[in-house]
Amino acid sequence: MAAPLELYCWKGDWGLPSVDTDCLTVLAYAKFAGAPLKVHKITNPWRSPTGTLPALKTTEESTGSLSKPSNIIIHLRKQKYNADYDLSAKEGADTLAFVSLLEEKLLPALIYTQWVDSKNYVDVTRRWYAENIPFPLNFLLPNRIHNQQLERLRLVRGDPTLEPGEQLEKELYHDALECMTLLSQRLGSHKFFFGDSPSSLDAYVFGHLAPLLKVKLPNGKLQQHLNSLDNLRHYCTNILILYFPSEGGEPPIRKVSVHSDGSDFDSEPHKRRKQILSVLFAMGSMLGYAILMGIVSIQHIRPQAALVGPRHIEEEGEEEE
Amino acid sequence: MSLAVEAFVSQIAAAEPWPENATLYQPLREDQILLSDCASSLAVQAYLRMCNLPVHVSCRSNAEYMSPSGKVPFVHVGNQVVSELGPIVQFTKAKGHSLSDGLDDVQRAEMKAYMELVNNMLLTAELYIQWCDDTTATEISRPRYSSPYSWPLNQILAYQKQWEVRRKMNAIGWAGKSLEQVYEDVSQCCQALSQRLGTQPYFFNKQPTELDALVFGHLFTILTTRLTSDELGEKIKSYSNLLAFCRRIEQSYFEDSQAGSSSRGYSKGPSLF
Repeated sequence: MAAPLELYCWKGDWGLPSVDTDCLTVLAYAKFAGAPLKVHKITNPWRSPTGTLPALKTTEESTGSLSKPSNIIIHLRKQKYNADYDLSAKEGADTLAFVSLLEEKLLPALIYTQWVDSKNYVDVTRRWYAENIPFPLNFLLPNRIHNQQLERLRLVRGDPTLEPGEQLEKELYHDALECMTLLSQRLGSHKFFFGDSPSSLDAYVFGHLAPLLKVKLPNGKLQQHLNSLDNLRHYCTNILILYFPSEGGEPPIRKVSVHSDGSDFDSEPHKRRKQILSVLFAMGSMLGYAILMGIVSIQHIRPQAALVGPRHIEEEGEEEE
Repeated sequence: MSLAVEAFVSQIAAAEPWPENATLYQPLREDQILLSDCASSLAVQAYLRMCNLPVHVSCRSNAEYMSPSGKVPFVHVGNQVVSELGPIVQFTKAKGHSLSDGLDDVQRAEMKAYMELVNNMLLTAELYIQWCDDTTATEISRPRYSSPYSWPLNQILAYQKQWEVRRKMNAIGWAGKSLEQVYEDVSQCCQALSQRLGTQPYFFNKQPTELDALVFGHLFTILTTRLTSDELGEKIKSYSNLLAFCRRIEQSYFEDSQAGSSSRGYSKGPSLF
């Protein structure tokens, strides 16, 4: 192809090429199909051509920019980057079915565990997004996404009064655990879902499971179950090592401490500067208010009066002399 | 159903056999019921007939509000109320009736995946066509949905339901789709089902399972319902093995003398024959 296609996606962390499920799916599919993509890893969704991430900028005027992973994959297929070329008709049908299974059973639980569960959201997700999105969006976006995801869960479950809590968590996790077990049973001991070369279904499964595997969440029930399914765990790590060697390989512990040191270092001078600036601003405004109200001016008169007093006495003294 | 309630219900359910007076509730057949609800209801009825469990169908205008989860159909068995195909399948399993016991793990995974495919694509497409397509919503869905109520309640309820469905479509990313794209998705879904079915009589060879009931419910309803355009039906008719599949299930499970008259009742248009 003449000009390489440009893909905008979320930055990566914790050994992953990207932290977002949809971005991971698209990146994985591009690697599997051998599509040459120019990847822009950004943290500001407003800078992408469509306003959301992932976004594929195409060279054709008619298609413009594409957003949803399924649309991006279809476009790549049209450009002859097809990872499903060798699949039989039945396997193609199975792909559709299993992708639906992922979206109906696993995705709600993933959304819940990352964005709605209070401990996970506050400790990990919101923190990561707030630290990485540039000012001033880092105040707005995480909260907005949190509300959007909660609304989505409510609409999908059909219950407008849904609240995050143990009840909802149990139901969602039950479905998700069953889904992961089914995937594990379907994968068996094969290297990929359909034979020895990866296909679009592998991209979707990787995109959904990899964040679960790598991102360390305080409330990690889904993670525990995934770790107990050996074949799925090996499957994800295998794909990471084979197709994303530059991201993986760093032990997460070291990465976390470097990350926290780095973040401390970075925020320290900014923090101090902000503190000093805010104190100066407060003092300046207090002084200004005092002068305007005349509080300070009265104090000025007294020293002058005191000055005048002794001079007066001095003058008197001089006069006397 | 929550997990604790589910476990409790399973325990109680296992204790009692299936009673004779089990009732299935759905909205009014002639005037009120819409495509998606009719499909779900037919799927449940097909499943219960496949399990040889007698159930009496009762039409109520407020079935949606009576249901514990807000979705129809629901069954009233003994002193329990269970709604939607998934929980009903588990409920009957607790009572010892199951169609999918003979499947191995891989087949069970595939069955669940295909059921989700139908729910994800066919059901969502039905909802989209009913409520997000302006022509269909104005001419068919809103009048039918609000037919039992008088003004102004009928307007309020109809618009409320439409608004709710549109917000759901927005949340799952279907709002940006055009009608042609939705028809294309239905076509893809049917192609997948057709390829999976192949030349076998049922999806998992000789015995029907809940997947067969679900697919039959949706396809039969689409084929026999008159909408503003025939395109949905045409998409399905292009797959001859799916047509044969629907006919086979209709003949095997719905063709006794009682069902003969009521099968025409399910359809709002001509029957398959």
